[in-house]
Amino acid sequence: MSQEIQEPTKVLAIERILARVLRLGSIIAGVLLAAGIGAMLFTGAAFPRQLITAGLITLLLTPVLRVVVAAVVFCKERDWLFALFCLVVLCSLVAGVKLGLVG
Amino acid sequence: MITTTLLLFPIAIVVGVMGAILGLGGGIFIVPVLTLLFKVPMRTAVAASTVSIIATSTGAAVAYLNDRLTNIRVAIWLEMATATGAMTGALVAGYLNQRFLFILFGILLGYSGYNMLKTRGKERTRAVVPDRVSRRLRLGGSYFDQSLDRQVDYQVTHSIPGLVIMYFSGAAAGLMGIGAGIFKVPAMDQVMGLPFKASTATSNFMIGVTAASGAVVYFARGDVQPLIAGPVVLGVLLGAVIGARLMVRMKATTVRRMFIPLILYTAVVMIYKGVAR
Repeated sequence: MSQEIQEPTKVLAIERILARVLRLGSIIAGVLLAAGIGAMLFTGAAFPRQLITAGLITLLLTPVLRVVVAAVVFCKERDWLFALFCLVVLCSLVAGVKLGLVG
Repeated sequence: MITTTLLLFPIAIVVGVMGAILGLGGGIFIVPVLTLLFKVPMRTAVAASTVSIIATSTGAAVAYLNDRLTNIRVAIWLEMATATGAMTGALVAGYLNQRFLFILFGILLGYSGYNMLKTRGKERTRAVVPDRVSRRLRLGGSYFDQSLDRQVDYQVTHSIPGLVIMYFSGAAAGLMGIGAGIFKVPAMDQVMGLPFKASTATSNFMIGVTAASGAVVYFARGDVQPLIAGPVVLGVLLGAVIGARLMVRMKATTVRRMFIPLILYTAVVMIYKGVAR
């Protein structure tokens, strides 16, 4: 019975944490992109290009960071199986990048 | 350049709204818009579309996580398959007959679209009996449905067949560059028995991760053009935030009704690509 009561709060916790990571990522990326595009429209200099690139890279790293954070949360909860699943996902992401760069 | 940006932006917002609601990346719209309307080279268009998949996923996820529509355990279980699938798909892409693949996947999509059409309207409260894997991994979930104003508890079944389908869905995305979310939603809805809104929200959560490794590769190759990708991605990001807020209040039947024409359209596009190539 005690397990049934614990469960929802646990699940809620990981959802809150991941939501925070993703919100932070999208806000930073959104601000960088908006600043870059705004500056580009008004000045047309090279600097906005770098701002946009920084925004795109931030966005790109957010889902990867999300998997890492999920792995950490599962480790803390001693949910080793799901921590392992996260590790498998991360390894295939890295392998995908390596294969893509070779091919 | 300025007119391109100003035109791209609102289109990207619409794609973001739709993508967030339906759990799709929106590549099926962004790539033709960029190549046909704006005469952008194919590689640049696909690269921009791949980064915008991450924008849809990230922008929408916050609202879905807060309402607990996203089933994180199902997502991580299935991400193992989509990520490895995408990897093998990219690896064997050169050895397979693309034409045949497009037709095959097009027919599969058409079939699941037909199934959805048949069962539309009856958002059944299905009695799903969880399989052994689902019980062991505690895949079942629960979310608060704002349109019904009550908590929806559900179970998940066919965990292994779902994993196998996701592997091929990932491989399809790696092989053809499309089909990030369009296979995931029917697999979760029709095979694994998740409620429709949980299926699109969970698909949405997953597509960002599947697209990440591809996006890194496009970046490293220099295919991501900041001046094209920037406005598209920002628009999609904003659209996704709006779309997710709308979706949590929508009825599951409405979301399904919106999904059906899209899946049928994608099926036609894929079959056409296979035949016309």
